[in-house]
Amino acid sequence: MNPEYVRVLHVHKWFRRGSEQVDVLNDLTLQVAEGEFVGLMGPSGSGKTTLLNLIAGLDRPTSGEVWVKDQCISAMSEGQLAGWRTRGIGFVFQFYHLLPVLSAYRNVEMPLLLLPLTAAERKERVLTALDLVGLADRVHHRPGQLSGGQQQRVGIARAIVTDPDLIVADEPTGDLDAKSAEEILALLCELKTSLNKTIVMVTHDPRAAARADRVVHLEKGQLVTEPTPISAAM
Amino acid sequence: MNLLRLVIDNLVRNPMRTILTSLATMIMVLVVTGVFSILSFLAAATTEKAENMKGIVSERWQIPSQMPWSYAASLKEGAPYQPGDLKVAPKDSMTWSFYGGSTDSNPKNRSVNTILFAFCLEPQALLTMMDDLDTLKGPPRKDLEASVAKLEQNRIGIILGRERAKSLGKAVGDRFTVYSFNYKDINLEFEVVGLFPPGRYDLSSAIRGDYLQSSLDAWSREHNGQLHPMAGKSLNLVWLRLKDQKIFSQVSDQILTNPSFTSPSVKFETASSGVGTFLQAYRDLIWGMQWLLAPAILFTLSLVISNSISINVRERRTEFAVLKVLGFRPWQILLLVLLEALLVGVTSGLVSAGGTYLLVNNVMGGLRFPIAFFGSFYIPEAAWWWGVAIGGGTAFVGSVFPAWSARTVKVAEVFAKVA
Repeated sequence: MNPEYVRVLHVHKWFRRGSEQVDVLNDLTLQVAEGEFVGLMGPSGSGKTTLLNLIAGLDRPTSGEVWVKDQCISAMSEGQLAGWRTRGIGFVFQFYHLLPVLSAYRNVEMPLLLLPLTAAERKERVLTALDLVGLADRVHHRPGQLSGGQQQRVGIARAIVTDPDLIVADEPTGDLDAKSAEEILALLCELKTSLNKTIVMVTHDPRAAARADRVVHLEKGQLVTEPTPISAAM
Repeated sequence: MNLLRLVIDNLVRNPMRTILTSLATMIMVLVVTGVFSILSFLAAATTEKAENMKGIVSERWQIPSQMPWSYAASLKEGAPYQPGDLKVAPKDSMTWSFYGGSTDSNPKNRSVNTILFAFCLEPQALLTMMDDLDTLKGPPRKDLEASVAKLEQNRIGIILGRERAKSLGKAVGDRFTVYSFNYKDINLEFEVVGLFPPGRYDLSSAIRGDYLQSSLDAWSREHNGQLHPMAGKSLNLVWLRLKDQKIFSQVSDQILTNPSFTSPSVKFETASSGVGTFLQAYRDLIWGMQWLLAPAILFTLSLVISNSISINVRERRTEFAVLKVLGFRPWQILLLVLLEALLVGVTSGLVSAGGTYLLVNNVMGGLRFPIAFFGSFYIPEAAWWWGVAIGGGTAFVGSVFPAWSARTVKVAEVFAKVA
């Protein structure tokens, strides 16, 4: 089995709603191996997105630790987390969240602006990423000129352009038709197999989850089952 | 550079809002530039000089000052009366009488197009003692010298400001009669011998002081030796130019201790102080412009910009969250919003102030705002950076809170709401 890439250790997450304390995650522990594709499933309010946000360094646990590779990201400051996110992680959103004023090229280029790269180096990386997701001919199109599936491809290109080892995806097919969803899932699988990316994906769709190496079910902030990793079983 | 490109893209994204914010900024910068121009001019006029000072002799206890003409000869020399007293050279002194009237004999027909106020003075003083004219250079100086030479040769000559000549419908060589309203029955005939250079004296006119005095004498002769009611009050001001503060003090002592000037008694003050005294009547207006109007405009401008950017930031919360996810640090988000506001503010301020400068100075021929004896004001060159400072400053103040709000966007909260 590959070494553990993501370790979520005894994580609690709760927040206050008025005088009431709402427990979102309750003593949750999860490991994800390097190069593994994990699907997170569960009913609404089960804590899937919260867990994803913790893994992506977008939120902090109330207690417990989150480790990615050899770094405890739950102990990082906001500034350190921002720096880590630039290179360490790619995020794919359900609603793409592309900047509407920018072309596909410039949307994908955005994370690279934070890195010490020349314009030529940025261009090479952006074109490679767009080529990888099959949008080499849509470089100068704005989001409004692209279909939902194409926009999500741009979102994936933006997520991988800094070459992060970890990709987190929050219902990446939730806003797409069946055909586009299938293409996006195929693309994610390709990223895993060809580039050895570690992928954590939240989904409600059993067909999407079926593409994962392993599916983790959450209910009321706790893991219900954690089947044996497919890769380990093979 | 990359951030600047993003800033411009964001501004272009909602052109209507950017244009409206920009227009509001431009209009307010225009008003503030106008107000500041007047205030800075008045401030300069009332600032004491250390050297090459001008002093004004006027009646001590009355405004407007009305002194007998008999005072003129001695006061022009600095009122020396004891051995060793200083004597001011003729080129460094000037007498002023004010003559006002209408080109229409019927008082009911008086209007801005018939009224004329003239400085009655020694023609050469136009070249040596009048502010801004005494420093004139090049062709305008030559033209003025030619006009002054004609005025010296022509007792009924008059030099008109260009706007005044236009409103009266007169040109060089024209003759006309003015029916006075401050020197009753002293109706004078004039011949236009020249025009003032464009600028500060556009609404002014100048005639020979001795023409007014001889007309008063003539009136007396026609009335069996009876003095004209204004005969003992026809000297309004005497101007003296003095080298420095020490000489100013000495001449001041001479004037104030000279027993010839006791009925009415006189006072001597620096030109800046004299102008300041004259402006006392406008004190409340100037105070209001400086401390109410200008701050109110700046405050309103900040509010307009703040409101616009706040709306913008609220609409773009998800976008800022995305930028954070991509690795943008909070300070970079803050900088992005600040730069957007600053770019609009600085550009609009520069365009507005520059446009105001060019429009007012080169097209309108000054800002018409008659106050004291200043008829119109010009926008100083400093207005270019005023515009930048006002636009940029108010944009900065107005965008600090929205920018901070954008900086502190909580990614998890934003996406929880989106989902």
